[in-house]
Amino acid sequence: MNSRLLNRLAISLIVACAVVMVGTLAALLGYILYQGVSQISWSFLTSDSSAFQAGGGIKNQLWNSFYILFITMLLTVPLGTAGGIYLAEYAKQTRFTAFIRSCVEVLASLPSIVVGMFGLLVFVNYFNWEYSILSGAVALTVFNLPVIVRVTENALCSVSEEQRAAGLALGMTQWHTIKKVFLPAAFPGILTGVILCAGRVFGESAALLFTAGLSSPNLDFTNWNPLSANSPLNLFRSAETLSVHIWSVNSVGIIPDAKEVAAGAAAVLVISVLTFNLVARLLGRIVEKKMTGK
Amino acid sequence: MIAQLKEKPVRSAQHQSEKQSIVLGINGVNVYYGNNHAVKNVSMPIHDRSITALIGPSGCGKSTFLRTINRMNDLIPGAACDGEIMYDGINLLNRKIDVVTLRKEIGMVFQRPNPFPKSIYENIVLSLKFAGIRGKKVLNGIVEESLKQAALWDEVKDRLDQSALSLSGGQQQRLCIARALALKPKVLLLDEPSSALDPVSSAKIEDLLLTLKEQYTIVIVTHNMQQASRIADSTAFFYEGEVVEYNDTTMMFTCPANKRTEDYISGRFG
Repeated sequence: MNSRLLNRLAISLIVACAVVMVGTLAALLGYILYQGVSQISWSFLTSDSSAFQAGGGIKNQLWNSFYILFITMLLTVPLGTAGGIYLAEYAKQTRFTAFIRSCVEVLASLPSIVVGMFGLLVFVNYFNWEYSILSGAVALTVFNLPVIVRVTENALCSVSEEQRAAGLALGMTQWHTIKKVFLPAAFPGILTGVILCAGRVFGESAALLFTAGLSSPNLDFTNWNPLSANSPLNLFRSAETLSVHIWSVNSVGIIPDAKEVAAGAAAVLVISVLTFNLVARLLGRIVEKKMTGK
Repeated sequence: MIAQLKEKPVRSAQHQSEKQSIVLGINGVNVYYGNNHAVKNVSMPIHDRSITALIGPSGCGKSTFLRTINRMNDLIPGAACDGEIMYDGINLLNRKIDVVTLRKEIGMVFQRPNPFPKSIYENIVLSLKFAGIRGKKVLNGIVEESLKQAALWDEVKDRLDQSALSLSGGQQQRLCIARALALKPKVLLLDEPSSALDPVSSAKIEDLLLTLKEQYTIVIVTHNMQQASRIADSTAFFYEGEVVEYNDTTMMFTCPANKRTEDYISGRFG
């Protein structure tokens, strides 16, 4: 009787925790969307932000967020998966690799403001890249690389050792087995890590304050020459992202409709992250099916 | 590199039929895991186009010995071996030979079915593509041929694009055999291939091996003595790392020369 009671108690506790969690999430999402969706309009999404008048938009910030995300992923994903492959498949268990692993862990738990300071000192000042997309993207790479490394390593380690034997016994080399068997099998796990990182990049503000800057030149969306100063593709211009914009209109902005702009921008941010997740998972499922058979 | 098989038939002086040549000449092979002497001075011939069964209690070194033949033990840190396994005039235990080529000629099937998490078709063509075999027609031909050899073609011909993991355990194991056969190996090593399967699937694998014997040289590790007596031409009894007895299967099971063999096959220990 006693153990039955305990069983019931444990189940209700777990259910209660789940309800609290889902409830909080739903309330948060609902609040942000309720406050923000009414602010979103075509002109809000497609006009420049204003410095002191009401009615500014978020066009450049939205573009900057996606562009920084893209550049960061371009740097993080290849480096991170390569590091994960090394740790999972090639590294011998020595004191040196144990040291690398703990470094990766420490790096993953660095507060983002510290990463921002590091970016300011190294990329912005020392390398003289100034406040730029590149500084921001490299700082975010520092911030996200360890996550991808760990996720890749874990995903590869969870592929059964028997698969390695199977590959080698069929006269394939270790690299070919990793490439054709291990990476496809680990793909869903790696993709989850990439999506998590993308969400972090999209929502990051502290690390970008000091690296990508608080302002954005007025972008000319007809000029796609990456070397020109007001081109959206220019890597060496300062770029305020959406989440930095939310922070700045709320704390240092002087526009009269700061609250509305922040609420609208927050809703756009949340919707973008959700859409990104869904699309990435959908694409992932298609790719996985292609690699693993129906 | 392993050269193509030179026609240099070595006559067997053993009880085997006089015409059968030796594919693997095993001479004084020792395997160590660190300080553990796992396989002790094993010598025996493996005859062409025959089934050789390795039997013995758990931990007697028979699987270790099997994995030494295609050098899969190289993967285990601290494993070392000496002696010689002569194949086509080459000692397979020589550190300098190309193990990738070796494993193409000496295929292996494991205890637990381990198909790749890919389509049935991909499972077979993956290693072929790596071996440099190209062309859709050629690949399709080999897929069909090897699946037929493994008696799996009729069951899967309409769903080659489905995941191999959707197959039953017995089908998965036959797919693993098909995958090994696709490379046209000379020798097929099987490490308890049916111990994880139900009796019906197990019987299918046995029938399959008896057909494959016409074309391939097969070495099989098995815990199941009935299986050994049903399918093997020669049998080696391993005990504590040594080969206690090697003989023609019928001889071994009817009048074993050694007391320990007799005790084991009559079920008194092991």
